[in-house]
Amino acid sequence: MSNSTNVKRLPLRKKRGPFLYFILPAAIIVGIVLVFPIIYGFVLSFFNWPQVDDGTRGFINVKNYIELFKDNEFWHSLFLQLGFIVIAIPIELIIGFFVAILFNHDFPLSGFLRTLLLLPVFILPILSGLTWKLMLQPRYGAITYLLSLFGMEFPQGILSDQSLAYTAVIIQDIWRMWPFMFMILYAGITSLPKDVMEAAEIDGAGFFKKTFFITLPMLRGTITTAILLRTIDALRIFSEVFVMTGGGPGNGTMLFSLYIHKQAFEFGKLGYASAMAVILIVISLFFAFGLVRKNMDIDTM
Amino acid sequence: MKMKNRKKIIKWIIFISALIIVLVELFPIWIIISNGFKRDLDIRNSNPFDFQFNLRSYELVFQKSDFVPSIINSLIIGLSSTIISLIFGSMASYGIARFRFRGRKGLSYSFLVSRMVPQIALSVPIFILFDRLSLTDTHIALILAYTSFNLPYIIWLLLPFFNSVSPSFEEAAMVDGCNKRQVFWRIFLPLTAPGLVVAAIFGFIMAWNEYIYALILTGNATKTAPIAVNGFMGQYAPKWGQLAASGTIILIPIIIFTLTLQKYIIKGLTAGGVKG
Repeated sequence: MSNSTNVKRLPLRKKRGPFLYFILPAAIIVGIVLVFPIIYGFVLSFFNWPQVDDGTRGFINVKNYIELFKDNEFWHSLFLQLGFIVIAIPIELIIGFFVAILFNHDFPLSGFLRTLLLLPVFILPILSGLTWKLMLQPRYGAITYLLSLFGMEFPQGILSDQSLAYTAVIIQDIWRMWPFMFMILYAGITSLPKDVMEAAEIDGAGFFKKTFFITLPMLRGTITTAILLRTIDALRIFSEVFVMTGGGPGNGTMLFSLYIHKQAFEFGKLGYASAMAVILIVISLFFAFGLVRKNMDIDTM
Repeated sequence: MKMKNRKKIIKWIIFISALIIVLVELFPIWIIISNGFKRDLDIRNSNPFDFQFNLRSYELVFQKSDFVPSIINSLIIGLSSTIISLIFGSMASYGIARFRFRGRKGLSYSFLVSRMVPQIALSVPIFILFDRLSLTDTHIALILAYTSFNLPYIIWLLLPFFNSVSPSFEEAAMVDGCNKRQVFWRIFLPLTAPGLVVAAIFGFIMAWNEYIYALILTGNATKTAPIAVNGFMGQYAPKWGQLAASGTIILIPIIIFTLTLQKYIIKGLTAGGVKG
């Protein structure tokens, strides 16, 4: 951030020079593998496009969208995905915040323990989903076993009950992602000016006052960024749920992204799935622009 | 004296709470690793905390499954896509950092924003595209698909690294008669080697972890490691021991990466906006 001042007087940067040589290859590749598919998907959403061509492929105007709005399963899956975000992210934020405050103290091995907390963030999403599936198996799953010690028995298995499965999928995400919140908030807390805290302590502020009237307000920017990042990320969630429950039982965990996959690759309705994809893209871009506007400047990063 | 004792006690309470949090958090990872050393049968027929060390699952994973070829596929695809993204990404990042041109901001932001589009939303057009080109079940399809998220990500990850390099070296080299391309390849890139290594590792890990494109684009010839691991779920009875053993193996690069690169991790997580 501090180098933006010494950059302005550079002769190198002012000349336009052969920038095309540097930019063009990346722009072409991104155009082919990213921008073109987005546009192609948008066009496809106005077509009837069965995966195996049975002669009915063709332009049908906005019929996919009309059908979509009448499709209860579409609304249900959208509701599940947004519910997922609304439940999981605040809990991740709260756990991350308090653990960040805990780690802001000086104690043995703190650096090493902090690093260990990051492992779940980078674990393969499918491995996370499969591990939770194993732990939730009836009889021999570790979590089922531990719960049974407290008298909670699930003879049918936790994942065969719709609301329990939905809860489990959310807990899986909280497990994986609260350390992400923790890491960002920890970085925010350690960069807060020390003298404010010291002044508050001299004034006799206790833990509660310091946390809620000083730390929290000063972290507002960091918290907004963290929530935006996590929201964009949670809209992408697919693999972990796909391998953990496959959207089931019934459609109990059929998140929006899983429903897109089902319509496209199980039912072969590629046009219909594209219409849903367009809606997902619009929602994601809404948050993406929020994030970019808020804190991504190419020159001051 | 009393005050000092109190502080010491608080320190120990904090340490023990932190330790408990970490142990609880790592429990599922311990489950994967420990189950890899059990047999499928034992897992299903005993208490989950019984433990008898056994290498049978590892033997089966290496001898009687498609796991080893899938690791090779994952390496080929991950490395190729990372190298392509690194070459063209570092060029683009340099272009954005060092040149002023019309549409500079618009172009950089569209790199960033388009990367935030969920992969599942792109899966249909990407599938049709590669299907038409008869490229499904080839390495090329997955390399290109993975480049679509790695390239914009690497551009954004490198930008702050590149901005922080003083241009005086480049200016000196230009005075000595190098042109701008030579300056970039011979002077600038070697200077930023640490940043490039970090970007490459992040890119490789994202490709290594990817599942959606692999699910729709691979067949038997190009199965990647995550697909093979999920394959142990089987049609009827899950082979949990082999799944855990293969899961542990594909976790090794992740563990090494997290433990060695932790000081870059925040930058890496927030740069491209999202992780893979």
